[in-house]
Amino acid sequence: MANHDLVREGDRPVYSFVVLDGLVGSTKHTGEGKRQITSFFVAGDIPDLHGLHLAVMDCNFTTLTPARIGFMRHDTLRSICDQHPRIATSFWRSTLIDAAIYREWVTNVGRREAYTRMAHILCELIFRLRSVGRIQDHVADLPITQAALGDALGLSTVHVNRMLQELRRSGLIATSGSKVHAMDWAGLTHAGDFDATYLHQRNLADQW
Amino acid sequence: MARFYFDSGDRDLTFEDEIGVECAGLAEVRRAGFEGLIDLTRESLKSVDGQQLFVEVRDENGDKIMRLSLLLRVKLLK
Repeated sequence: MANHDLVREGDRPVYSFVVLDGLVGSTKHTGEGKRQITSFFVAGDIPDLHGLHLAVMDCNFTTLTPARIGFMRHDTLRSICDQHPRIATSFWRSTLIDAAIYREWVTNVGRREAYTRMAHILCELIFRLRSVGRIQDHVADLPITQAALGDALGLSTVHVNRMLQELRRSGLIATSGSKVHAMDWAGLTHAGDFDATYLHQRNLADQW
Repeated sequence: MARFYFDSGDRDLTFEDEIGVECAGLAEVRRAGFEGLIDLTRESLKSVDGQQLFVEVRDENGDKIMRLSLLLRVKLLK
C-alpha cells in the first residue's frame, strides 16, 4: 500500500530491501513536521543499501504507490560481497549513483523554477522506469499523489496542479488518470533542463 | 473531504485547475490557497506596479467560494 514506512529514521535495520514493483521515496521531516521527499526509487533499486555500512538510518523510506518489496539480510549480503567482489563493486556503484541523484535533486529543488523542476522530475521518472523495462514508449503509470509530488519538488499542491496544467498546455505531456504521457520527449527534456548523465545508465542514452 | 479547484493567475492569464485538491473544510481550503499564492508569487511576480496575483477557489459545483489575492504597489518617494 502507499504511504507505508518501510524503514524509519533512527532504526538499526538488519535488512536492506529491494523494490520489486512500485515507487518508494526516501523522506525527511523538518522540526515543524513538513515532509521533503529526497529521492525516488523504482523497481530494481536497493534504496537503503547504505544501511549495510551505516548502523543508524538517517532518513525514512516510504512507499509512494502500492509496492512489492523484497528484504535481504545484512549478514547474507556481507558474505555475498566477501565472496563476489564484482557484486560488491556493483553495490558500491549503486550507492554512488544514489548520491549523484541526490546532488541533482538539491540542484533541482534549490535552483530551478517550478515549471522546470516539474518537467525534470517527470523526465527522471520516465527515464528510470523505461531503463528497467517498466514502461513502453513514454507513457508512465504514476499513481503518485499531487501532495507527494509537491513534497518531492518543495511546492504546494495547488502549484503542482498549475505546473502540470502548464506542461499540458505546452503540449509536452498528456495525463489520463494516473498515466503521464510524454508527448514530446525532446521538448520535455529541454523544458526540464534534463541531462541523463547523472543517472549513469550505461549505453541506454543512445536509445532515446 | 471534498474536492476544490484552485484557479490561479494574474490579470492577463488564468490557469484553470482541472485536477483539484481534496480538502476537509474551509480552513484547509484557505491554507492550500495561501500556500499556492506564495508559490505563485515567488514564480510570477514581476516588478510591475499594479500587478495582481490571485488564487480563486471553486467547489465541485463550480461555485466560487474563496479568492486570495496580492497587489504590488511600487511608489517613488522622492
